[in-house]
Amino acid sequence: MALRTLITAVAASSLAVGAWAQSNDRPEMLEALGPPPIPADNPMTDAKVELGKKLFFDPILSGNYGMPCSACHLPDAGWAVQDKISFGYPGTTHWRNSQTIVNSAYYSKLFWAGASGSLEHQARSAARGGVAGNGEDDMMEARLAFVPEYREAFKEVFGDDWPLVRHAYMAVAAFQRTIVQTDTPFDEYMRGDDDALTEQQKDGLDLFVGKANCVACHTGPLLSNEAYYNIGVPPYDGWETDELAQITFRFELLAKGVTEDMYRTTKDDPGLYFRTKQKSDKGKFRVPSLRYTAYTYPYMHNGMLETLRDVVEFYNAGGGENEFSENKSDLIQPLGLEDGEVDALVAFLESLSGEELLIEEPEIPFMEPLPVAQN
Amino acid sequence: MILRTVLMGALLASSSAIAQEAVTPEPPIEVNAARAELGKRLFYDTRLSGDTSLSCASCHQPELAFTDGEALSSAYSGNGHFRNAPTLANVGFRDAWLHDGRLGTNLNDVAREMITETYLMNMDMRIMQERLKQDPVYVEMFAAAGMSEPSNGGARNALMDFMKTIQSSNAPIDTGDLSSAAERGQVIFEGKGGCVACHSGVRFTDDQPYNTGVPTNPDIWSDPERHSTFVTYAKFMGVPNYMNLREDIGAYIRTHEEDTRRTFLTPTLRELTYTAPYMHNGVFETLEEVVDFYDAGGGSDPLKDPRLEPLDLVPSEKADLIAFLEALSGDSFDTDAYVWSADDYGYTLIEDWRNVNN
Repeated sequence: MALRTLITAVAASSLAVGAWAQSNDRPEMLEALGPPPIPADNPMTDAKVELGKKLFFDPILSGNYGMPCSACHLPDAGWAVQDKISFGYPGTTHWRNSQTIVNSAYYSKLFWAGASGSLEHQARSAARGGVAGNGEDDMMEARLAFVPEYREAFKEVFGDDWPLVRHAYMAVAAFQRTIVQTDTPFDEYMRGDDDALTEQQKDGLDLFVGKANCVACHTGPLLSNEAYYNIGVPPYDGWETDELAQITFRFELLAKGVTEDMYRTTKDDPGLYFRTKQKSDKGKFRVPSLRYTAYTYPYMHNGMLETLRDVVEFYNAGGGENEFSENKSDLIQPLGLEDGEVDALVAFLESLSGEELLIEEPEIPFMEPLPVAQN
Repeated sequence: MILRTVLMGALLASSSAIAQEAVTPEPPIEVNAARAELGKRLFYDTRLSGDTSLSCASCHQPELAFTDGEALSSAYSGNGHFRNAPTLANVGFRDAWLHDGRLGTNLNDVAREMITETYLMNMDMRIMQERLKQDPVYVEMFAAAGMSEPSNGGARNALMDFMKTIQSSNAPIDTGDLSSAAERGQVIFEGKGGCVACHSGVRFTDDQPYNTGVPTNPDIWSDPERHSTFVTYAKFMGVPNYMNLREDIGAYIRTHEEDTRRTFLTPTLRELTYTAPYMHNGVFETLEEVVDFYDAGGGSDPLKDPRLEPLDLVPSEKADLIAFLEALSGDSFDTDAYVWSADDYGYTLIEDWRNVNN
């Protein structure tokens, strides 16, 4: 009897403390994450997702039959690469940080500067890029026809007489639309569970939408407005120490099309400029989602910030400097956060990641001799 | 005494001239020597392939007269080729290249095709250019060859010049040092054998495509890496019904005319002793097999060239013919003139990178 009273008292007091610390109003500019949008021209079916899952892990979608999507989007590395810069195709290195597959379904544009308008298009670009998959569509399509399991699956899913490589990209995109996380502590909190966030995380949320004004760009259910800003991320330091990185950097300038003068003198990633060719877009990158970031270190388009705390301190200092700082956003100003506030903001950011998403990797089928008159 | 000295001197001078100036089938093609030297280094550089696994020399090895000794050539990682690697001996004198003759312009285009083709070297040449710029030896060699900096166009020109230097030398047919068997074989070659109808001129080829009924090589269709490579090629070239083909259609690939099916360019007969196995798909391992094939009137094909008839050669005639064929091979190409032997391939970090122009 005495014990029961005590428990009730403790429960009541903890409720009282919660009510005292926070009003528990939910900020209007943020939301829990719902199901991802599914494009009308690529509806989801179980068979398509199953096919896409195999193709995601199958090196058949690369030039050397050695670089599957999963080579640079490793499930146990946050479905990314836990290094500043992504792996490149053999003999090369990449030049940007590998972005996570998790929740990529929600972006309207893919890649750091928004070069792809859909996951389907992104899959194709990655499979074909010279420092990524270095594949060629005719070759990859020819190979698919030699895998009996794929002949069957493409026929069932897409009605193909012979597998079409563009359907492979559609299947991969469908699979990626299943790699989503909508049940983080933050989501549970936004859906009404007052206890889903710690007091410190709630303080962090207050700062996020208040004093630190992160929400100016990291807004909505994805915590990204999908706009492009130069925030002064310093250039990738590997360009000064890695021969392969120097090669790839020049290749990107050459391949993406810049003036002769820019090719000669540019020493930093022009970002959005590659798409728009507007000087004012140099050094701008798309605001990334903050979801799943507990697993996707290091951060920024070139991985130059190692921890979430580094990121918060970077913003607290008013961002940084790069070659295109004349385009730096006015939104980036010193924040004047105290140490305890930095702690709280980091704690809140951690609430945007749930359990690590791991799956059982599929068995990959092989090419086999093709009997005559299959079709 | 004085006269004798002069004679001795003349003899010495003349013998040293013979040692230096090899007997070649035709006068050498004039090239820019510095550019050809650059091309030689490029020829042996694996960084000209996408994943840095292959150089030109992987399939065109100097000790095999620039072939690879395989019936069907190697190809890029994950692929297998469906054809035999042709010799590059006298390649600069050809009118058309590749067994199907689909390249008929110049060796710059041949270099580009080999480097960029997805199943050959699979190289994005923009990456290749930037790789070359990261190697100080190339920076120097491009400058020495009159080019301001490494570029992919310059690299292809250099490869072209190097290939033009690959010329047969000191073959008995050119030095006049034919054995009597070879001399008898030459008579058969030009007469009873009728070989000269297509294997004409100093390179012993007319560079034209013919159907001789060479049997298909079953290893293409039993190996999915080779077969899928063939599908890639046939699809890209717009061949109908490419998934159901189980034959190499040869020059049809560029003509799309039925009567050109399974026609292949007459190969040169020079350097045959280095270049086994034979035919566009390497189905014959020895010259004996090749001679037996023609002695039987070629293979079985409804589109076979009507000039191919059984030859009724007796064994001694076959032996003489082979002796003549062997007399068309000269000095090995495995020499400093054709081999880049320095182990000096590497990248160097560009110091003070932020302050120097790209």
